[in-house]
This record gives sequence, C-alpha cells and structure tokens, in this order.
Amino acid sequence: MARVEFRNVRKQFDDEKKGIFTAVEGSNFVINDREFVVFVGPSGCGKTTSLRMIAGLEKQTSGDIIIGDRIVNDLHPKDRDIAMVFQDYALYPHMTIRENLSFGLRNLKKPKTYIEEKVREAAAVLGLEEMLDRKPRELSGGQRQRVAVGRAIVRDPQVFLFDEPLSNLDAKLRVQMRVELADLHKRLGATIVYVTHDQVEAMTLGERIVVMNQGVIQQIASPAELYANPQNMFVAGFIGSPPMNFIDARVLGNSVFVEGTEFALQDTIADGLRAYQGREVILGIRPEHIFGEDVVSSVSGNYRLTKQIKAVEHLGSENLIYFPIGNRTVTAKVHPETVAYPGLSKTFVLDFSKVHFFDPETQQRIEY
Amino acid sequence: MKTKTKWLLFIVAVVILLIWTLITVIPLYWMFIGSFQDTKLSATFRPKMIPELWSIAPYERFFEKTAAIRWLLNSLFVSSVLTVTNVFFASLAGYAFAKLKFPGNKTVFWVLLGTMMIPAQVTLIPLYILVINVFNLGDTYTAIILPGVVSVGNIFLMKQYMSSLPTSLIHAARIDACSEFGIFWKIILPMAKPGLAVLAIFTFVTSWNDFFWPFLVTSSTEMRTIQVGLASFVFAEATDFGALMAGATVAALPMMVLFFSLQRYFLQGITIGAVKG
Ligand SMILES: Nc1ncnc2c1ncn2[C@@H]1O[C@H](COP(=O)(O)OP(=O)(O)O)[C@@H](O)[C@H]1O
Ligand SMILES: [Mg+2]
Repeated sequence: MARVEFRNVRKQFDDEKKGIFTAVEGSNFVINDREFVVFVGPSGCGKTTSLRMIAGLEKQTSGDIIIGDRIVNDLHPKDRDIAMVFQDYALYPHMTIRENLSFGLRNLKKPKTYIEEKVREAAAVLGLEEMLDRKPRELSGGQRQRVAVGRAIVRDPQVFLFDEPLSNLDAKLRVQMRVELADLHKRLGATIVYVTHDQVEAMTLGERIVVMNQGVIQQIASPAELYANPQNMFVAGFIGSPPMNFIDARVLGNSVFVEGTEFALQDTIADGLRAYQGREVILGIRPEHIFGEDVVSSVSGNYRLTKQIKAVEHLGSENLIYFPIGNRTVTAKVHPETVAYPGLSKTFVLDFSKVHFFDPETQQRIEY
Repeated sequence: MKTKTKWLLFIVAVVILLIWTLITVIPLYWMFIGSFQDTKLSATFRPKMIPELWSIAPYERFFEKTAAIRWLLNSLFVSSVLTVTNVFFASLAGYAFAKLKFPGNKTVFWVLLGTMMIPAQVTLIPLYILVINVFNLGDTYTAIILPGVVSVGNIFLMKQYMSSLPTSLIHAARIDACSEFGIFWKIILPMAKPGLAVLAIFTFVTSWNDFFWPFLVTSSTEMRTIQVGLASFVFAEATDFGALMAGATVAALPMMVLFFSLQRYFLQGITIGAVKG
C-alpha cells in the first residue's frame, strides 16, 4: 500500500553564495510497495534533498509527492507514516538508548505497555538488549547505527528512509550491516528508500536503483539492467568498478575504426550505427570485457588490438592492466594468470558482444 | 641559541604576567585587609600591607549603618530574574535565528545586531523616560529588570552556539512527532547546557555588578541594589575607611566565590564565541 511517487518534483534553494540553485530537477518516479529502492549518485546530486522531501523535512518548490494513496505535499513529517535513519545517526545524546528508541512513540502518546513491547522487540532484533540503559556516547559506531535503525523500526512505518547510514562505519562492518539491512527488509516487509553515493552498496542492496547526477535522474532500473544497458555515459561510468572505458571511434561502412584498426560489426549493430556513418562515436567497453590473448580463446574474430602496457596492478583474484588508446588510458580487468608487465607489447581481445556506442554530443547510448 | 631566546622570552613573559597580576590583585588585597583594620582615621589613612590588628568591627558598622542585607537580597533577586529571563529568551531567539526558517530571519537578525552598534548612553535617556515617566515604574523591581530581560549580545552568543548543534537531531525529533517547542525544550536545551551555563554565569555577574541603571531608577533606600547602596554609603561615610572596605568586600565576595567555583565555565565563555557555528 505504501508506494512513493514523485510527480515533476523540483527543489530550488535560495543559496547565499550560489543564488537560486536547483538541487532537484523535475523528478518523476514510482517506488512500489515493499520495494527496496536505492538513490545513488555523486555527492551533491540531490539524493538527500529528495529523501528529505519524502520525509517532509524540506518542502518541494513544485510538483506532487504521493505516499500510499495520499498526496502528502502539505503533511507534517509525523503524519507521513515514515521513519528516517540519518547519516550521523542523530541520536539524542542526553537520552539513554531506551529513551532514544521510545521517544517517537511517547510523543505519539502510545500506551506504556505497547511502547515497552516495541522497544523490547526492536532491541532483540538488533541485539541491543544489553545497552538499553546506556547513553549513545558509550556505544561503538556500529551499535549507534543499530540504535538509529531501531528508532525507525519501533515506529512501524510504511516507508523507511535511509540517508547513507553506513558511510561512517569501517569497511568490514559496512559489509556486515549491508547483509543485515537486506535481511531486515525481508523481515519488515516495508518500503525502503535508501540513499548512498557508493555504487557497490547500491548494486548489492537495491531491487531497483535511481541514478542521479546534478539533480537530474539519469536512469531507473534494476542493478543487472543498469550494468548491462546503461542509458548514457554517466550511468555507464558510474556503475561498475573499475568504470567502463570510453574509446573514441569512427564509423565507416560496416566497421568502426579505433586508431586506424578496423573492427567489423555485426549486422544489427552496423544497422544501428547507420546514422553515424563517417562520424565519431564513443565506444564503451567494461574492463572485464577485455582479455589478454594468452588466456582467452573463446572470443574469436578480428576484435584484437596490440598495445604497450603502461602499468599493472595485482589484486590477487584479478589483474588490472592499463594501456593507452589515443590520449585515453584504458583499463582491462583480466585473469591473474595473464602475462603482463609494464612495457610489454600485448595483444588484447575485446568482447564486442558487450560493447556500447554513445553519441559524443548527447552522451546517450545509441540504441540498436 | 634557539633555546636561549626561548628562555629569554619565557622569562620576559613571566615577569610581565607577574607585574600584571600584582596590579590586579593589590587593590583587592588592600580592600580585603582594610576591611579588617578598625580605624576611624580619615581617607588620608594608608593601610599597612601587613595588618597589625584584625577586627570585624568595620563589618558590624557597615551592617549597622546600612540596609546591606536588604541590598544584597535585592541584588540576588534582580540578578537571578535577569539570569533566568536572559537564558530563556536568548536561547529561544538564538535557536530560532540559527535553525528555523522564517521570512525575514536574516533581516531581523542583522537589525538586532545593528542595535549593538548604538552606544548605551544614546538610549539611556529615552529608556529612562519610557520606564519612569511613561510606564510610571520608578523605584520598582520591574524598572530595574525590564530593560535587561534579554540582551542582543546574549542572543548573538546563543545563535552562534546553537548553529554548532547538528540539524539532523532537530529533523529526527520532528519525524519523532515532537512539537516545535518540544524540540527546543527536550532536545536543544539539554544539548546546549554548557553554553547556557556560561550565559547564566556571565549574566549573573554582569547584573550583580551593574550600577548605573539601578542607580537611575531607584530612589528609596530599600530598593537599592548592593552596588547602588554601597555608593550611597561612600557618599555618606567617606571617612570610615574600614567600613567602606567592608562594604566593598561584601559586594565583591559573592562574585569571587562564583568565579572560583565555576572557573571552568568562565574559560569556556571566553572561547565560546570563537568556536565557529
Ligand atoms: N539548505 C540548503 N540550502 C542551499 N543549498 C542546499 C541546501 N541543502 C542542499 N543544498 C544543495 O543542494 C545540492 C544537493 O544537496 P544534497 O541533496 O544534500 O546532495 P547529496 O546527493 O550529496 O545528498 C547540493 O549542491 C547542496 O549544496
Ligand atoms: Mg547527502
């Protein structure tokens, strides 16, 4: 029942330094009931602002926000049936954990026994039973994070809002909490809107991901779809690590040419690039779709390129090889047994079934 | 070489500080010592640095000849009320200016700050006419207290302090269905305790030591604060040096006790404006 919808939502700030500044441009999306949706994008792209508008902490400049089947534009945060977990946890420092957890319910004048039951339940789910009488400052970062989540859980909201909840934890704890949050989502059966700038977090947690840049939604899709079919160069470059390589290419006949090397195209692709005949396009290929010739043999044909290696990084499970094409440096993520060292002239095989072409002006992916 | 100049600088600094301390402490010492030397000699009398006799007779005379107890209570009452009102209103206004969005927030704040540029002497006479002639409040506690209920300086101090508190807590409380006043009362005030303590102490000391305004608006003996009373005593009994010193000690002592017991907060108070908001 608790879907969240944005209809042409815009948010402008009247900033002292920047003047009138648009943080979120005409934003449209529908988050389904019980869905886990992640907003991802670089810092300052408007993720937190979007989340705060759902919460009612910021009022949109124009457009409608719908939660469940109500237009909530003029509703106070407490009436929107949401709960929020903040990046800095925002625990009340002078209250015990028990008081922190129960604060909202006490304000809502819930019966005492009900509150106790809810607090006990949340503490059990999050392993906080031992800490209920302590103050936030006596807890570790990970424990505080749990309290912040607990404070949201006791409210039984229709929609959970998370603003970069894991960004203050160390790497190991972050992975652990990621798993717990995914688990929690299954148990709670609530709608979750989760904000992060970390694409790995987005890919692992999100059922669907909203990629944002400079206040504009770039693409809304499942993680697999984002990875396989990015709409534009921003999404292609943002999702995946290391990011997709972009290579300048020219379309001639049924081939593209990269620095004079000809790559013959399949008919469907060649048809798709018909409009770009004789023009520059940008070829996008992910590092994991470039192989060393010595290790792979399944990709055949003429998708080969010989280049001098600039640098090699050994990551154990794989190697990253850097080599130049034109004035760009291309990264290949290859099997660790691939022979590679700086200075070596090496033949690489490109998996052309996985490449994308982008329009250099619009930066949009060319569909075929 | 380098350590030598360092040492030299250190010694110079210590000497300067010592001289400074002496200049500050000697009058206080003199006052204190003088208050225990029972002599009725005139103002030409020079008290000895090391007293020969200790006597509480000057204190007895001071309390006998004046309404000192009443004055002390007046001062205590006025300073306490001013402390409570300043802490309450300055933190309320400071919070609003620091954290709440309302039309004219910046403008009102700058106008208020602007009033700090006007010297107190300029507003003194209009204020006097307003309180005495228009409101007809002469010789009342209200007259002493009203103009000082909240000072712009304190609002400014609290605004700076409140700005440094995290906004996310206010957001969290709002989502937690806390009323706007509840947010101020249950979340902001408890977090702002150190700042409030500093404000309270400074306000109390300033009010206690204030002389001119209470002097202007009070006329009867019973309504005087200790500072005003002491001054009137000086006029009346210019020759009784011991009793004068006893009076001065009585007026200063509460502030000294306050200072030494709450030193920590005074030091904080000096840096509080510097801690960026
Ligand atoms: N209260 C505000 N006043 C002015 N500008 C703001 C305000 N809040 C956010 N912004 C600006 O809006 C943009 C988006 O901010 P935000 O939503 O916080 O980004 P993020 O994606 O990092 O969470 C940023 O450029 C930020 O500076
Ligand atoms: Mg943010």
